Amino acid sequence: MIAKTKGIKDTKKLVGSLPAVRYIDPKYIFLATTNTRCSKFELYIKEGDHVNSCQLIGKRIGPFFEQPIHSTCSGTFIGFEKHYHRSGKLTDFIKIENDFKDTLDPSCKERTPEEISKLTKEEMTEIIKNTANVGLGGSSFPTYIKFQTNEPIHTILINGIECEPYITADHRLMLEFPYRVINGIKYVMQAFNCKHAKICIKKKYKDIKETYEAILKEEEGSGIEICPLGNYYPQGWEVEMIKNATGIKLNPGELPSKRGIINFNVSTIVGIYKAIRYNMPVIKRFITITGDGINHPKNFRVRVGTSVKELLPICGGYKNPDKEKVFILGGPMMGASVPNDDVIITKTVTSIIVLDKEEHREEPCVRCGSCVLSCPVHLEPVQIMNAVKTLDKERIKKLNPTRCIECGLCAYSCTSKINVTDYIRKAKLIAKL
Amino acid sequence: MTIIKESAPHLRRKSSVARMMGDVLIALAPTLIFAFVVYPINTLATLLLSLFIMNLCEFIFVGIKNIKPKYEVKESFINRFKTAIKEKYTINNLLSASISAVIFTLIMPVGMKLPSGNIIPPIYPTIVGAFIGITFGKLVFGGLGSNIFNPAVVGMLVSKYCFGSSYINYLPNQYYSLPDALSGATPLYEGGAIYNNPNFSLLDMFLGKIPGTLGEVYKITIIVGLIYLLIRRSADFRIVLSYLATFIAITLVAGLCIHGKNSNVHTFEFLAYNLLSGGLLFGAVFMFTDPVTSPINSPSRVMYGIIGAIATAFIRYFAALPEGVGYSILLANMIGVALDHYEWSSQRYTIKKIIVIISLIVISLLITFLATYYGGIYKNG
Repeated sequence: MIAKTKGIKDTKKLVGSLPAVRYIDPKYIFLATTNTRCSKFELYIKEGDHVNSCQLIGKRIGPFFEQPIHSTCSGTFIGFEKHYHRSGKLTDFIKIENDFKDTLDPSCKERTPEEISKLTKEEMTEIIKNTANVGLGGSSFPTYIKFQTNEPIHTILINGIECEPYITADHRLMLEFPYRVINGIKYVMQAFNCKHAKICIKKKYKDIKETYEAILKEEEGSGIEICPLGNYYPQGWEVEMIKNATGIKLNPGELPSKRGIINFNVSTIVGIYKAIRYNMPVIKRFITITGDGINHPKNFRVRVGTSVKELLPICGGYKNPDKEKVFILGGPMMGASVPNDDVIITKTVTSIIVLDKEEHREEPCVRCGSCVLSCPVHLEPVQIMNAVKTLDKERIKKLNPTRCIECGLCAYSCTSKINVTDYIRKAKLIAKL
Repeated sequence: MTIIKESAPHLRRKSSVARMMGDVLIALAPTLIFAFVVYPINTLATLLLSLFIMNLCEFIFVGIKNIKPKYEVKESFINRFKTAIKEKYTINNLLSASISAVIFTLIMPVGMKLPSGNIIPPIYPTIVGAFIGITFGKLVFGGLGSNIFNPAVVGMLVSKYCFGSSYINYLPNQYYSLPDALSGATPLYEGGAIYNNPNFSLLDMFLGKIPGTLGEVYKITIIVGLIYLLIRRSADFRIVLSYLATFIAITLVAGLCIHGKNSNVHTFEFLAYNLLSGGLLFGAVFMFTDPVTSPINSPSRVMYGIIGAIATAFIRYFAALPEGVGYSILLANMIGVALDHYEWSSQRYTIKKIIVIISLIVISLLITFLATYYGGIYKNG
C-alpha cells in the first residue's frame, strides 16, 4: 500500500473508560539509583534507617544536572536489589519496606492560596527543582530547566493527547483529577505571567471535552481553553501539536520558548500542582497495563516504585502463556522492550504493554515510498537505510538522520516489514562520529 | 512463557509487498481476459511462454545469488541450491516475475508472419524478449527491488528490434474485422490522417477494435484496472496524474496549432485519439507506476511523470521512431535514478523544485508550440 499512515489501529476502547484501580500500598518500594540521564548517585541514609514518605534520601548525579531522590512511602531502607529499569537496563534499586503508616515528611507543608499568589517564577523554579519534577510523558526532562527560560511566553500548551495507541493513563488522570490539572495550569500561568493556556486533547475524547468545558465555565476569564486536535499519530509530538494548536510552525531544532510557547504534559502539570501546593514530589502516578497478551487490561494508580510483578495478577495474568511475548514500557511505537517482566514503575513509566510476539520476515525493499510519505519530519528513511548499508558517511550526513524523532512510523508502514527505524538509529550514531 | 526483547516499533501495518503485487495482477486480469477472448491461442501461447521463462530465470537467479560457498557448507551443488531456494525464494519473487510476464504478454504483437507466409503466435520474439527482459532488465541489477529499468519494456523493445519486420498487428476474428488495406499497421503507425479516418471511431479505439498489440488496445479494461489500483492504493496517483496531465497539455497545444493551420482538425478529437492510441494508457497505468523503477519521494514522482509525458509526446509528434511510450518509460526510469540522488532528493516541495516543475512544463509547451506552428507534426507529413 503506497499511502501515508495516519492512524494506528487503536485499542483504547478496551480500557479508556475503566476507572483506575488504586494499588497504593505495596509491601516493598524500589527506587532507581541511576537512570538514562544520571549515571552516578549519592545516598544520605544508611541501611536500616527509617524514612518518611516524601523524604529526601539521596541524589542522582548526571553530567548536566542533579536529581534528588525522594522516598515514595514511609518505612525502612533495607538494601539494594537489581531490577529492570524503564530504559531496559538492569539497574540497582533502593529497596524500602513499607510500614503502611504513610507518615509524611515535615518538609511537606501546604501553602495557602495567598502564599502561592505571592510566589515568583524563581521561587517556583526552586520548588520544582527541589521536588525533582521531570517530564512525566516519558522524556524525563527536568521541568525546572523549562522554567528557567527568559523568553516572553504568550501561550502555555498542555499535552493531553497521548497519541500512542493503547495508553490511557493521561486520559484517566484528566478525567479523575480535573481540578488539579486546572490549578496546575494556573500556577504555571502565574509563573510565566501569561494569559493563554490550551489543553490539547484528541478530538475523539468527547468525555474529557465535556468535563473540562463544564469546569471552565466556573473559571470565566482565566484564559484556559480546551483544544481538541487530530486523532492521528504523532499528534502528541510537540512540533505537530504546536502547529495544530497555535498555527506556529517551528523550524527544525528550534525550542518552542523562542516562539513564545511552552508546553507540558498533563501529568507534569499535576506534578507541578503537587509541588507548589503541598511541596510534595511525585509519589503516585497513573499507569495502564494492557495489550493483546494481558487477560484483563486495566488502569492503575500506583505508588512510584511498585514492582510490575505485583500488578500482573490483578490483571488476570498473561493470555495464552505458551506464546512468546514482548514486554514494553511506554507506547508500542517508541517504548523500550525489556527482556524480563521484573520491572519497576518509575516516574516516567506511562504504561506496560504486553504483546504477542509477531514474526516479521524481511523482504527486499521495493521502494514503494510509504516510509517517505509517512515520515513526520520529511526525511527519506529508505535512502538513509541504503546509505547505512553502504556505510557512506557523507551521504548519511546529507540525509539529516539527526532530525529523526524515532516515532517508528517508517517501520510501521513498511510493506516489506523491514525495521527501518533501526537503520536510522544506526545512521544517527554514524552521523555523530 | 518467554519474553523476547525487540527494538521499537512493536506494531506493524497490515500490508505487504505480496498484497501490492497481487493487486497489480488483479488490475491486469480484465485486460488479460479481454485479450484471451479476442485472440485465445495467441494470448495463451505468449503468456505461458513468458511466464515460464521469466519465472525460471528468477528462480535460478535467486538460487545462485544466495548459494553458500563450498568451503562453508560441504554439500553437493544441488543440495546447497535447494537450501538457498528454501530460504530466499518467496511469493514476492513469483509474483514480481509473473507481473513482468503478464505486462510483457500484453505489449507483444498479435502474431508473426513466417517467411513461408504462415501466421503463428509470436513465439521467437517472446522467448528472446522474455529472457533478455528479465535477465538484462532486472536480474543483472540484483533482482527484486534493485532494477532500474522496467523488465517488460526492455524485453519488448529488444524483441521488436530483432523481429519487428515479421510482426502482425491484426488478425481477422469475430470481435471485429477491417478492410484489407488497413490491416497492416496500428492507428498510430498509420500516421496523422488517423483522426479523421472513418475506419476507427473513438468508440472503436476505446473498445480496442483497432490493430495493435495483444492487450494494450483495450482501454476500457485498462481504466477499470487503474480505478482498482487507485482505490487499493497500490499505485501512486501522483505519477499517473502528472503523466496524463502533462501529456494532455502538450497535446492540446499541438492540437490548437494544427487546428489553426488546418480547420478540419478538431483539437479535442485530436487529443482523444492521441490518448486512446498506442500504449499510452497502458504504460501510464501499469508501467510508469511500477514502484521499483520510479523515484522514492512525492516531488520526484511528479517530476518523473512530467518527464515521461514530455518524452512520450516529443517522440510521438516530432521523432521518426515508433514505441514512444516504451522509450519514454526507459528514459524516465533512467532520470528517476538521478532524481533520487541524495544531494537534492527530499520529500518537501521546495521553491527550487516547484520552479523546476513549472519550467519543465512551460519549456515543453513552448517547444511544442514552436515546433508544430512553424514545423508541423512529423506524422502529419
